[in-house]
Amino acid sequence: MKKLSMHEALNLALREELKRDNKVVLLGEEIGKYNGVHYVTRGLYAEFGKDRVIDTPISEESFVGVGVGMALLGFRPVVEMMRMDFSLRAMDQIYNHMAKLRYMSGGHLSVPMVLRGPEGPGPNPGLTAQHGQQLTTLFAHCPGLRVVTPSTQYDAKGMLKAAIRSDDPVVFLEPGPLNNKQGDVGEDDYVVPLDQAEVKREGSDITLIGYGASVALCLQAARELEHDGVSAEVVDMRSIRPLDMRPALESIKKTNHALVVEYAWQSYGPGAEIVARLMAEGFWDLEAPVERVSGQEVPLPYAANLEELSKPQMDEIVGKAKQSLAQ
Amino acid sequence: MSVQSQPSLSGRPSLSAKTLQKYLRQMLTIREFEQLGEREFRNGLIRGYYHSYAGQEAVGVGFINAMDLKRDYIVDHYRDHGHCLLVGIDPSRIFAELFGRASGVSGGKGGSMHMYSAEHHFLGGDGIVGGGLSIAAGVGMALRRQPEDGICVCFFGDGALDTGTFHESMNMASLWNVPTLFICVNNLYSMGTRVNEHSSLSQLVDRAQGYGVKTEQVDGQDVFAVAEAAERIFKYMRQNKRPYFVEALTYRYQGHGIHDKASNYRGVEEEAKWHGRDPIKLLTEYLIAEKVMSGKQIEALRSEVLHELEAKVAEAAAAPLPNPADLTKDVLL
Ligand SMILES: Cc1ncc(C[n+]2csc(CCOP(=O)(O)OP(=O)(O)O)c2C)c(N)n1
Ligand SMILES: [Mg+2]
Repeated sequence: MKKLSMHEALNLALREELKRDNKVVLLGEEIGKYNGVHYVTRGLYAEFGKDRVIDTPISEESFVGVGVGMALLGFRPVVEMMRMDFSLRAMDQIYNHMAKLRYMSGGHLSVPMVLRGPEGPGPNPGLTAQHGQQLTTLFAHCPGLRVVTPSTQYDAKGMLKAAIRSDDPVVFLEPGPLNNKQGDVGEDDYVVPLDQAEVKREGSDITLIGYGASVALCLQAARELEHDGVSAEVVDMRSIRPLDMRPALESIKKTNHALVVEYAWQSYGPGAEIVARLMAEGFWDLEAPVERVSGQEVPLPYAANLEELSKPQMDEIVGKAKQSLAQ
Repeated sequence: MSVQSQPSLSGRPSLSAKTLQKYLRQMLTIREFEQLGEREFRNGLIRGYYHSYAGQEAVGVGFINAMDLKRDYIVDHYRDHGHCLLVGIDPSRIFAELFGRASGVSGGKGGSMHMYSAEHHFLGGDGIVGGGLSIAAGVGMALRRQPEDGICVCFFGDGALDTGTFHESMNMASLWNVPTLFICVNNLYSMGTRVNEHSSLSQLVDRAQGYGVKTEQVDGQDVFAVAEAAERIFKYMRQNKRPYFVEALTYRYQGHGIHDKASNYRGVEEEAKWHGRDPIKLLTEYLIAEKVMSGKQIEALRSEVLHELEAKVAEAAAAPLPNPADLTKDVLL
């Protein structure tokens, strides 16, 4: 194990996979010579050259399409969105082509590519409405896409390697707020399965469920609740599509209370889906309605005070957890 | 066009001394504004993004002064502070926006890339490369349906030429005879990528061919050349109700944004060459040679401008943050 930042962990995954498989190619804006705006591709252009690490013009729709085309012929393109917000430009290729070609072709074709990039309000503050959005919901809604998001540096490396090796098109969402945060990363050639949620902290009174950057909020809330004698278990969903409900369902058998935390806008989001499944499959284990804390449903504002208020609030997480336990 | 070889401004004796002094004041204001802005970023008053307009002043000054903002409109991209100053927004409201204050031009909600002022016919500020192009065609469509012969001016970078929407917008604007002026501000770089590495043709004006739209290149360091082109183009557009495409050749002095170190991808020689044709330097040399102003008067003007702007910084820094209740204002929940 060694301590790496999230972007270093992702960089290591890319480097190892570029070395392992010469079908892996990277595409994106400023990823090569410039070394990547969020440093994820740092050094890779120098090491692997311009045929493996391809700098693109600002043509998101079409370079995602180029990725799809290369994937159809067996390459494994990893296409970076400088910020995930810019994938909105490429939604036609993502929704209508990348996600559906295998199905529409009756299974003759497949698109083993990864679309990756940072989402949400970070690493730095002040990203504003068109650069710091959490768009998980849009991808999660589309059948055919595998949608994953790591919450630790260890998972980031192992999941990105698994995503590159997957024959499905994968949307790999890197939590912007965690980009520069450090944690332990394995130095060996390991993969983390793409379809398994994981308990990140054990507890017995309430189950806090998060994904991506909100897992850190759940863990912080769990520490705060501990001061008040509440033992919170934290489940990291890791995969948003498909959802692996088993660890959360197991957990509520023990805790009988649950709270979902996410940066995304609440309506129609992953949190809504998780709550619906808890109700459908775990209803008889629950002693109180499942609570939710989400990002405010507003475009990300600039002013420091408004930006802070737009994110999921710690006092609300702790408060709702206690409220749930009081029922 | 070999812009580099032109040592001085194209002669423009028809401009009055008053106009020349106004141009100089505007360019100095933009230059000093951006320096103060970057200073306040480092001081922590500004967060997120900051894209400086320093070096590109003559493009905005030449085009925007030729506009009639009672009937014309601007659709801009994120490098928008200079244009905000030129349409006449009070600098304290631009600083206040950068500081995220309630008195900011967008109420503190937009920040550097998202300045808007309906009253000044300034329709933003856009964080998405090429995001304004089709909107500008739409504004042109609306203006065409009104009696005032208004024009829409759209500013964007060389990088925006690589977006599909550029070509779609040019096609529609031409098809529907829309009076929108597309100004590609070619500062040689799209972030860290030089034009010849992101564009299949290095003369960007060539990529605007094929839509039946008149095109031309203009020397964006030469405020007289820009002003001359602007006047001629607006006259043509008002008469003919047609779009137009201009490639303005210029250079940004700072990195792409405040976190970007330009020295990582471009040489000091290239930078020195462009500084040698600095738009403010060229204009001051002309003013001194033509005895419109003395060097002393120009220096006095510069310190006057700086002094005024410092007061605006102080005013903006003292302004309150937005009311927390504004978080959910102006959006349908
Ligand atoms: C659709 C989209 N893709 C990528 C970006 C990130 N980005 C912001 S500015 C920029 C470079 C644009 O350069 P150019 O158009 O030449 O304008 P300049 O900054 O030089 O004024 C990039 C890649 C973005 N904002 N929007
Ligand atoms: Mg440029």
